Formats: sequence, C-alpha cells, structure tokens
Amino acid sequence: MSKVKIKSKNLNVYYGDKQALFDVNLDLNEKEVTALIGPSGCGKSTFIRCINRMNDVIDICKVTGNIEMDGMNINDKDLDVVSLRERVGMVFQKPNPFPKSIYDNISYGPKIHGKGETKSELDQIVENSLKKSALWEEVKDRLDEPGTSLSGGQQQRLCIARAISVNPEVILMDEPCSALDPIATAKIEELIDELKKTYTIVIVTHSMAQAVRVSQKTGFFHLGKLIEVGKTEKIFKNPDNKMTQDYITGRFG
Amino acid sequence: MTKEERLKKRHRAEKRFRFYGLTSIFVALLFVVILVQNIFSKGSSAFKKTVITTEVFFDQELLEIQNGASQEEIMEADFYDIMIENLIKTYPAKDRDEEDELLKLFSGDAEIEIKKAFLNDNNLIGKTITLDLTASDDIDQLHKGNYPRDLPEERRRISDFQLVIYDYFVENKKISKNFNNYFFNNGDSRDPELAGIGGALVGSFYSILICLLLAFPVAVLASIYLEEFAPKNKITDFIEININNLAAVPSIVYGLLALQILLATIQLPRSTPLVAGITLALMTLPRIIIPCRASLKAVPPSIREGALAVGASKFQSVFHHVVPLALPGTLSGTIIGLAQALGETAPLILIGMVAFVVDIPSSPVDPSSSLPVQVYLWSESAERGFVEKTSATIMMLLSFLIVMNFIAVYLRQKFEKRWN
Repeated sequence: MSKVKIKSKNLNVYYGDKQALFDVNLDLNEKEVTALIGPSGCGKSTFIRCINRMNDVIDICKVTGNIEMDGMNINDKDLDVVSLRERVGMVFQKPNPFPKSIYDNISYGPKIHGKGETKSELDQIVENSLKKSALWEEVKDRLDEPGTSLSGGQQQRLCIARAISVNPEVILMDEPCSALDPIATAKIEELIDELKKTYTIVIVTHSMAQAVRVSQKTGFFHLGKLIEVGKTEKIFKNPDNKMTQDYITGRFG
Repeated sequence: MTKEERLKKRHRAEKRFRFYGLTSIFVALLFVVILVQNIFSKGSSAFKKTVITTEVFFDQELLEIQNGASQEEIMEADFYDIMIENLIKTYPAKDRDEEDELLKLFSGDAEIEIKKAFLNDNNLIGKTITLDLTASDDIDQLHKGNYPRDLPEERRRISDFQLVIYDYFVENKKISKNFNNYFFNNGDSRDPELAGIGGALVGSFYSILICLLLAFPVAVLASIYLEEFAPKNKITDFIEININNLAAVPSIVYGLLALQILLATIQLPRSTPLVAGITLALMTLPRIIIPCRASLKAVPPSIREGALAVGASKFQSVFHHVVPLALPGTLSGTIIGLAQALGETAPLILIGMVAFVVDIPSSPVDPSSSLPVQVYLWSESAERGFVEKTSATIMMLLSFLIVMNFIAVYLRQKFEKRWN
C-alpha cells in the first residue's frame, strides 16, 4: 500500500449560493495516477483546483473542510499559495503556453522561485524539463522560437515541461488531452506513465479508455458528490455503485 | 408561400442590405472628399508667400554703423531710412502720395528683413544685393488669385494706382512666390502675411506633452488596478460606470472645472500650456482608461492561470505576462486619446488660450495659443489672408491627427501577440 500524499476530508466548495462539491473525502496516493471521471459540471475540476488553490482566483468561491498534503493544511488562510503552487503544478485543458520563446516558457518558473541562479543552471533545468516531457528532441534546435508556434500536442507537452520545471511533488492535469488528436494523446499518456515514477499525478478526463490506460485509482463524481472511488480495475470491471456502472457503460453522462 | 418565393425574398433582403450599406459608405466618403477638397483648395496657397525682388543698396550715409559691426550694434541700428530709400526705387513714383502707396505694397517687416540680411553678412555697406522682400497681404492675395481686381476701386483694398505698380512688377518679373517660412516660424500677428502657427505648434506640443505625462501613468495604473486587482463589488461597479460617464462629459465642462480650480483657486498662470495640459489630462484620463481596460480584458485568462499555476504571485502574473501583452492596445488607446486632446478647443478657450499671443512660448508657463484655438481665432478674422491660413492650420492639425492614428494602428498590428 503506497503512502497517501493528499487527503481531503469533508471538502465543500461554494460558488456564491451554489454548492459545487459536497463533503468530498478522497485520498490520493504518492507516485500514482489518480483519474477523476464524471459528467460535465460534476465538480472534478473544482476538486483539483482546490489542491493548488486556483479557486482563489474566483472571487465568489468559498472552500470549507479540510484538504491536506503531507499533513499540511492546504486550505489554511495563512498558507503561502506561491510556495504551494511551487509544490503542486498544473496542466490545463487547453494548452496555454506564454506567448514567449520555448526557452522562456520553461525558465520562467525556476526564475521566479530563485532556482537556477546562473545561465548554465537554467539551461540545464530547461533541458531536463523538456527531456522529461519528451519534447527535447523535437525542439532542441529552436528554443528561441515562440511556444505558440508549436503544434497543439507539442504545446501541451511544453506546458507539462513548464509545470515540472519547478520540480513539484504533485501534478494536476485538467483534461490535458481534450484538445488533442489521438497521436498527441498517446504521447501524453506515455509521458504520464513515465512521470508517475517521480510525481503524484491527478488527471481529470472524459475518456474512460484514458482513465483505464493511465490510472491506478479512479474516482467517480456526480453532481458534486464523490460517488465511488477505488482501484481503477475494480471501478471499471466491477463497480459497487449502480450509477458508476451506468456511467462507465455509457448509459448517461 | 412556396419555398422558391421564400428563397427569393431572402435574396432580395440581402441585396437590399448590401445596397444600403454601400450607399451609406458612399455618402460618408463624399462628405470626406468635399471637406478635404474645400480645405485643400483654400489652404494650400498659404504654404507659399509672395515676395517682391528688390535691389537693396546699403548706403553708409543712411546708417550709423560701420562694416564689421557686432550683432548688438546691428540689432540696435535703425534701418528705416535704408528701407524707404531702396523701396521707393522699385517703381518710378511721381510724388509723395504715390511713394506712400508703393510702400504699402511691402509687408510691415521689410525693415527687419533688410536688417537680417545685414546680420548674415556685416560687410554689405557700399554694396548692392538683391533681396526677396515679403509683399503685403493685399498683394499676396492678389498675386495668388484670391482677390478680385474687377471690383470698383472704392470697394477694393488696393487702389488703381497700386494695381498699376503690381502689373509693372509682374511685367518686370519682380514678383514671385516663395516657400512661406513665416507660416511655420512666426507667432500670431495682426498682419496676415506675417502670421504663423509657430507659437500654436509649440503651445500644442507642450500641452500634449504635459497631458501625456499626467494622464498616461495614472490611466495605466488605474486600469491595471481596476481590471486585475480590485475586488468585483458595488464600489468598483460604481467607479466603472463613472469612468464611462466621464468619458462622455462635454469637454467644455472640463474647461469650467479648470477655470474654477486651476486658475481661480490654485492661481496657475492663465493662457499657458501648463494649465491646458492639466485640463486635457483630466479630460483624456477616462478616454485612455477605457481602451486600456479593454486591452487588459482581451488577454485570455489562461495566460494568467498559466503564470499562477507555476507559482507566480498575482503581481508577477500581471506585470510579467498580462501587461506586456496588453501594451500595444494600451499605447494605441493612449495615442488616440492624445489625438482627441490635440484637437480639443472648447476647454482651452475657457482657460484663456484664446488670447492673441505674438511670441513663441519658450516654456510651458508662457502664454501661448494652440492649433485648434488658432483655427478658431483666424476663422473670425476679416482679412482674406487669414482665410487661407485658417485652412492651412486645419491641414496641419489633420496631418498630425492622421500621423498619430497611423502610429496607433501600426503599434497595434506590429506588437500585438497572437495566442494560439
């Protein structure tokens, strides 16, 4: 049994008057891929945005309950979100590279966190991050070209490289392949398999097949509630809940 | 209605709409053409001035200075006699009256023009040189064809005898048209042939500079705060509505405000570019804030999220990513705001910039005019010379506005980054 990295207890999220998450209790294991599935608007993304406090950006959003990483309360008002996000990276649904060079896209994070004092250290970080995200061979000769000139799949891998450039412990992925073609998707999935050796990964996905392929643990959300969570194999072969069964067999959602 | 009929009706509606659109564009263009044609036909002659080629002999007996005199000595010396003696030689006048009429064909600055020639070369005593002396406004307009000579004499500003002299000049090729340097270098004057927009240009430049220095930083910081940092609540909504309202307040209201506060209460010097700049800055502020906020809004939220997700603070995500991306739009909005300020007349009239200022201001606290106010002042003058000067000033003003708008468009297209 692997160690629990992130633990949420009775997590509730409100957008103004509307409650988006109801008493979510979910444990995420270290160096494992956890997939979150469920119909649109069920709260999967809301949940992972609690882990790096991205919900802070939304004025009307209120989070109650407990969410801990290695025993540290993430939801603590006095917590420094900057250092939290240094430990918890995120990859978004639509690739969002900065409109800057490939090099600057990756060196930005280390720079603001004071990692890589010298040019050669930064070069090393950029190279390592690109190698880890399997993009190095494709871009090593054109690091000063704009990140936005890459293809969609490459852009998403660039964003993954950007996330791992600050050496986080957890990587959150919010439907990272929904804007990509099958070949680019396959590459990202391969990459996720590789990355889980080093990082704890949470991935939100609409593709059952993807969840089966990449994850060890799966959580099923519906209308803001965590309906069922367990080993991926079990969820997809023999779920306890009728609703989970209906969703994975495509009867609704 | 059958399917064919409905289809036909739809096509007709489309054609009708195309026709309406083309018609309105055509009408708009027609007005622009008429306006531009009108201004050009009236104003283009102001860039030339009529000069009378005159032989000037520097007679030692008529001058109290010697060859090699210093600058100060020349400046103080009297060139009046030299001028009179030389000008009356341009035409064989019979008596004193005829000489007087002859002298009236030259501008009031003939003496100064002769003195300037001597300043350039202080060894001219005893020599004869040929000078192009500026003609008076009446001759200027007559020569440019703006003045009808077939009116009866008592309704003309030029007497029959002066016409005879003019024809004599034309016959002997003594009269010609030169580039009008006075129009650009001189301040205002009662004599149209000597009046120029130099003072108004400098005044407008100082005003716009002060306006830019005050309005740009305040507007940009206000927009960034309101758009990126301020909480979205009733107070910020109220501020936003008021900024939009302020942008629509008639400019004369800002003039009244400046009159009361800047002139009456703080007692800043009247008629100066300093006050004009502050007034225009107040007026321009909301007009810059609006496009500035719009260009900040146009930066996709994914850029902010991307920066925040790698651990940038709010401040870093705004100033490292959002502001640089919004900069082209901000700059072009600022330039368009300044272009509006450049053409603003009403508030400047209220703060006393409508005064008759001959000297070119040497600092923002000297009394001054500005381009649009100069247009206003000259458009009220009766002399024909001011008609062409009014149009020529409008041409200058319009060309500045076109250049500024062109820069705005260029900045936006050149530096606007595309995301995805």
